[in-house]
Amino acid sequence: MKRIHIIGIVVIALAIGAILTTVADSSTYASFKTSVENPGKEYHVVGRVNKEKPFEYNPEVNANLFSFYLKDNDGQERKINFNGTKPNDFERSEQIVIIGKMKGETFEASGILMKCPSKYANPEEQRKELKQGA
Amino acid sequence: MNTAFLGEHLWYGQAGHLLIIIAFTFSILASIAYFISLKQKENQAAWVKIGRLAFFVHGLAVFGIVATLFHLLYHHYFEYYYVFAHSSKAMPKQYLLASFWEGQEGSFLLWTFWHVVLSLIVIWREKEWEAPVMSVVSLVQVFLSSMLLGVYIFNYKLGSSPFTLLRLHPDMANLPFVQMTDYLQKIKDGRGLNPLLQNYWMVIHPPTLFLGFASTVIPFAFALGGMLKGKFTEWVKPALPWTFFGVMILGTGILMGAAWAYEALSFGGFWAWDPVENASLVPWLLLVGAAHVLIIFNRKGQSLMTAYILCIASFLLILYSTFLTRSGILGDASVHAFTDLGMSGQLVVYLGFFVILAVAMLIRNRKHIPLTAEEENFSSREFWMFIGILVLVISAFQITLTTSIPVFNKIAGTKIAPPADLKAHYNAWQLPIAVIITLLISFTLFLKWVKSDWKEVVKKLALACILSLLITGLFIWKIKINKPHYDALLFTAIFAIIANLDYMIRVLKGKSKLSGATLAHAGFGLIMLGALISNAKSTVISKNLSGIDLGKDLPGNENIMMLKNDTLMMGDYFVSYQGKKQEGVNIYYQIDYMTYNWSSKKMEKAFSLFPTIQTNPRMGNVSEPSTRHFWDKDIYTHISYADLEPVNPGDEYKKPFTQTIAVGDTIGTATHIIIFKRLERMVNRDSLQLKPGDMAIGAVLQVKDIEGHSREAMPVFVIRDNMMFTRESVLEEEGLKLAFTRVDPETKKFDIEVTEKRDPKKEFVIMKAIIFPGINLLWSGAVLLIIGTTLAIRKRIRKNKA
Repeated sequence: MKRIHIIGIVVIALAIGAILTTVADSSTYASFKTSVENPGKEYHVVGRVNKEKPFEYNPEVNANLFSFYLKDNDGQERKINFNGTKPNDFERSEQIVIIGKMKGETFEASGILMKCPSKYANPEEQRKELKQGA
Repeated sequence: MNTAFLGEHLWYGQAGHLLIIIAFTFSILASIAYFISLKQKENQAAWVKIGRLAFFVHGLAVFGIVATLFHLLYHHYFEYYYVFAHSSKAMPKQYLLASFWEGQEGSFLLWTFWHVVLSLIVIWREKEWEAPVMSVVSLVQVFLSSMLLGVYIFNYKLGSSPFTLLRLHPDMANLPFVQMTDYLQKIKDGRGLNPLLQNYWMVIHPPTLFLGFASTVIPFAFALGGMLKGKFTEWVKPALPWTFFGVMILGTGILMGAAWAYEALSFGGFWAWDPVENASLVPWLLLVGAAHVLIIFNRKGQSLMTAYILCIASFLLILYSTFLTRSGILGDASVHAFTDLGMSGQLVVYLGFFVILAVAMLIRNRKHIPLTAEEENFSSREFWMFIGILVLVISAFQITLTTSIPVFNKIAGTKIAPPADLKAHYNAWQLPIAVIITLLISFTLFLKWVKSDWKEVVKKLALACILSLLITGLFIWKIKINKPHYDALLFTAIFAIIANLDYMIRVLKGKSKLSGATLAHAGFGLIMLGALISNAKSTVISKNLSGIDLGKDLPGNENIMMLKNDTLMMGDYFVSYQGKKQEGVNIYYQIDYMTYNWSSKKMEKAFSLFPTIQTNPRMGNVSEPSTRHFWDKDIYTHISYADLEPVNPGDEYKKPFTQTIAVGDTIGTATHIIIFKRLERMVNRDSLQLKPGDMAIGAVLQVKDIEGHSREAMPVFVIRDNMMFTRESVLEEEGLKLAFTRVDPETKKFDIEVTEKRDPKKEFVIMKAIIFPGINLLWSGAVLLIIGTTLAIRKRIRKNKA
């Protein structure tokens, strides 16, 4: 066997390894339903923040705990405990993604993804602004 | 029906549209003419001339488009949607450039513009290669300028024009407002550039990065051009300096992005493995591979197929990145990706076309491109360079794979999410890869082409190796990085730096002309070392120790609350929040870092940092960190949360309460005691603005605080034409408003109304402070890498001339 063949085999093996780790490490976009059925497993949940219900953030007690309610795309609503500060401008967020797992009745989130404001162009708001400017 | 709208400058937009159409048409013409010149036996020169002329017209049109858009922005012609959406009169003039490329259309235009500039250099310098290279570049320009067309073909919108009128833009067209003939007079100002992007990075980063993107088209065009021309090997030599140019400028662009993220954005680091960052890193990795394989071929005549594949792949991956970041497909996976402008279909076609074209050409010409036949010697430089190139490809493959999860979801309809811990996921692969790469770049230069004597190599490397081991040992002992894979990278990175510097001093005798490679490699070693140390040893010093423990699943209690004027110990410092001040849209929070001086037993201020929150009504409030730089570390401070709610003027006071008392009685408030001393008929009628017929009587009240300080107040009761009212007495300092509201002559009792100020809310911030040690190694490595690559470009240009 030539050396080039050995190298080829190693490269292919590494490529397969890369594919496998991507599959193994990847999470799943899921609803609360799936998340409740598999407590302790990490999921990405996409949903809308329920702005009618209160946001709880008491930095005097714990600066790293922010709670709110999120309605997932199936309409199920859960209380979210986020381990971190209340993101700036959370009130304005539309659809967000939370990363974490169920723990009892609440969803313990380790991450919140909100759209980077620099790329966030909302036609509705533009129209509103145009009207206000007028 | 044609309505005339007041004040519009339609002429410019029409000219702009026309120029776009000219640019588009003439790029087709240029491509065809150049292509024909390659296939003709006679009249070659004439066809090349036609192609060149057509390309000049295309280039002029592109410059014209740029100038027109700039003119519109400069004069605030808000009838154009792009101008309205990306600029404003209120915005400082120096950010005009930034608003030029803030939007998708402008950034496509910037990219097209750089292609023209590079092409003009190709036409000027690469006489023999003009026709093949330019036929390919012109074809790329056909697709790029079509992205700006914004015309409808059978209900399909082709491209998006920056000259679309506001009242015709899909987001606005249905508004009754824009149907008014004088709508333009009613628009006071544009939306303006996002204040978050109003900084110098936004002025310098996009043009550099896009020049990097544009630079990948040249090696690609050389590779395809070589096949078109039937000169399957000769393209390598002229392509070499261009490839190194791409490595240099794209690398600079990426590093600038990292610096921007670190300095001004609150990612808490310089690299977050976000898909948008990866999208420019992957083509760079392949371009570095391409540059090296071109060197191998140039020297040894081997690995030609790999050279073709890598030159082609780096450009195709730029197209793929463009698709990823602009089609909206990344959606939830990236925080920076653009939203879809309805061009994703076009981008897929664009990408597909060039993939198929390149693959088909490679297959068709495969007989002319020999796969390596002879075995390289195990001790040859080219063998280990080739291994390095393969490792780069694997690195690029792994990053692309995970970045492409949303694409996979789209195709297969699955719901896979990116790994929850992105950093750990990528590091598991990229850290060992970094170890191998840094190891390779430390010894490969010491090998000879074809065959080397191992003994000699070991002898030459011994000094650098021993020195590196010693320094690594020192580092491990001093800064305690106790993870074996980190230690491995620590050693290989240090080895790469020292071995390359050693090579430069002892072998090259410090000749700067030849030192490009060694400097670039040492620079890369420094970048890895800096990245390693700052990542492995970054410490959050704002740990919240009092917070409720959320369990080990959520260990990140990294934010801490600081009340104004409180002092907390963080790391080696005593940190205190001193207050805030607002300037324009920015609120600056003053955070003092103090050290304790043991000899004088006093706190001494070391420095102040001013992290900022930008109140941004359009884009949301954005927090900008502030960093203190030391030679060996950075202290990064960031406001994670602050109460921005303004105090409502009506909310300043509590609800008033009234007590009916007699002279000598006392009223208690939360902070004061009020004693009713006596009634006073002598009141200052002028200062109370009383009329001659008014009856007035004052209540003399003594207001005492807990510490016994006291002062007098006198609210006045007034009767004017059977109307009763009061002149209240306001005590600012005490936070009290006192009014005399009723007199009961029969019982000799009087009503005193007391209004108390609310307790002033204690002002606070929630902040995060991180120490990044060794970050300067990374930046100095970046500078070395750029200098080294620039020297390499110069060396290649000189060699080609000779």
